[in-house]
Amino acid sequence: MADQDRGPIVLQTVGLKKHFGGLQAVNGVDLGVPDGDLRAIIGPNGAGKTTLFNLITGDLPHDSGQIYFRGEEVSGLAPHDLCRRGIGRTFQVTSIFRRLTALENVQTALLSHHRRHYDILRPARRLYREPAMALLERVGLAGQAAKPSGILAHGDQRRLELAIALASEPRLLMLDEPTAGMAARERHEIMALAADIAREAGLTILFTEHDMDVVFAVAKRITVLHQGAVIAEGTPPEVRANREVQRVYLGHRAAPAR
Amino acid sequence: MNALRWPAILAALLVLPLVLPSFLVVVVTEIAIVALFATAFNLLMGFGGMVSFGHAAYFALGAYAAALLVKQGALPMLVGLAAAPVVAAAGALLFGFFIVRLTHTYFAMLSLAFAQIVFTVIFKWTALTGGDNGILNVWPPEALKSPRAYCYFTLAVAGLGILALHAIVNSPFGYALKAIRENPRRARFIGVNVRRHQLLAFVLSGFFSGLAGGLFAFFNGSVFPDFAYLNKSFEPLVVVLLGGAQSFFGPLVGAFGFKILETFIARQWPIYWPLFLGGVVVLVIVILPQGFVGLLARRTWPTKTAAP
Repeated sequence: MADQDRGPIVLQTVGLKKHFGGLQAVNGVDLGVPDGDLRAIIGPNGAGKTTLFNLITGDLPHDSGQIYFRGEEVSGLAPHDLCRRGIGRTFQVTSIFRRLTALENVQTALLSHHRRHYDILRPARRLYREPAMALLERVGLAGQAAKPSGILAHGDQRRLELAIALASEPRLLMLDEPTAGMAARERHEIMALAADIAREAGLTILFTEHDMDVVFAVAKRITVLHQGAVIAEGTPPEVRANREVQRVYLGHRAAPAR
Repeated sequence: MNALRWPAILAALLVLPLVLPSFLVVVVTEIAIVALFATAFNLLMGFGGMVSFGHAAYFALGAYAAALLVKQGALPMLVGLAAAPVVAAAGALLFGFFIVRLTHTYFAMLSLAFAQIVFTVIFKWTALTGGDNGILNVWPPEALKSPRAYCYFTLAVAGLGILALHAIVNSPFGYALKAIRENPRRARFIGVNVRRHQLLAFVLSGFFSGLAGGLFAFFNGSVFPDFAYLNKSFEPLVVVLLGGAQSFFGPLVGAFGFKILETFIARQWPIYWPLFLGGVVVLVIVILPQGFVGLLARRTWPTKTAAP
């Protein structure tokens, strides 16, 4: 089943488990994401998508199983450590530095990425200003650079969070519902933007998404979670044709007809 | 106007001690020390989002380090003053290691608990600290003994300390600290080791609090256990609330307001001073959540943004 023509595995989880009280939120997930993939994780509410995300990014400790990133075991590492190893992420609820300007948000991420964040002597204002502006430009926020990020429109805040994540030059970018709370057209825009950036930079994207139009439009491969376990994985046409997937998920959502 | 502001302030600071009556020179000296203490405290509160209820610990460690070296060690004043921030920073490193593991109320309460420990040790360890009697006759050398000379000295040292804190706030370290204040979860995911960063901020804050304590020891001529007591811990908090935590210069303005009020009200009506201060704090929090500085900012804001 592993396609030999695709790149080496960037992210792999083996038998990953997590329970909250009596709820087995993630129940033995084996996931292999090859280099350059644009992988969607879908599933009904409560399927364990966000929990799986938080386990991989170290935000939550897992109960058992292993996580490998670029061939090394990273199970149990702290988020800041994983970030330095090349895992970037955005959150389901927009997560930015609200009282800093858009430019300062990205500058701070760049300063940290370049390990300048313990420097107490130099003024930071001019450091990494151009690269920060370039990133803002890339996500379409050049005109908003000087505004406090907390007053930006919701869609712009999501773009900013993408720029912050990109500033760490991740190899794997994990987007947890990147289009949450956006209008339909904007959703396609931001996913297309993320896909373009991934292609240019050669990075791998793993994302969760509720909007099936968006998923089937951009994902290269799709993993379907149900009750904490993987029930299907494949290309969009394969997943759409999968009986089990239709039964538990797509069926009651009217799978997009092509 | 803006270009002239700094030279004007500097000139005022140079001239003031010469023209003011000597009891006001003493007040200016005290304002400078309190301003340094509150600015150091505000590195945590305003820029790190960490409210300490026990910063008197580091002030007292600095004051006692200076006093002990000069009295027991018979070392020169400058050695004592140089040791003050270092000893305070060491204490902040030790206590901060535990304190930064907690957040919000628990952070505040643990910082308070450590300050109470420092207070108790100073109070009980009579052989070293003199206990309740304190350490007396901690005077600077002859050249700095006059109120005017010590005022200049304090303005210079406290001024340098405040400038250093200003540089820290605007450095990459300061940017990351503000990022942690805004969103620790996101800060981790730009690669910042949040706890270590907070601990470093705590140590830096302790360092400058200790410097303020050292300056105060020689200003006061004696040190007492209540330097580590609750009242002293709440002083920078009140000053920062009055002046405004969100602005770097809020604590300076607050220190000025606080000491002026104290000088003219506490000395006239000492019994009513806590009542009065409480009233002022309530008014400021309710009406001016940004502190005195917010008042200034609000005045100038429309003119600044009128022409886009």
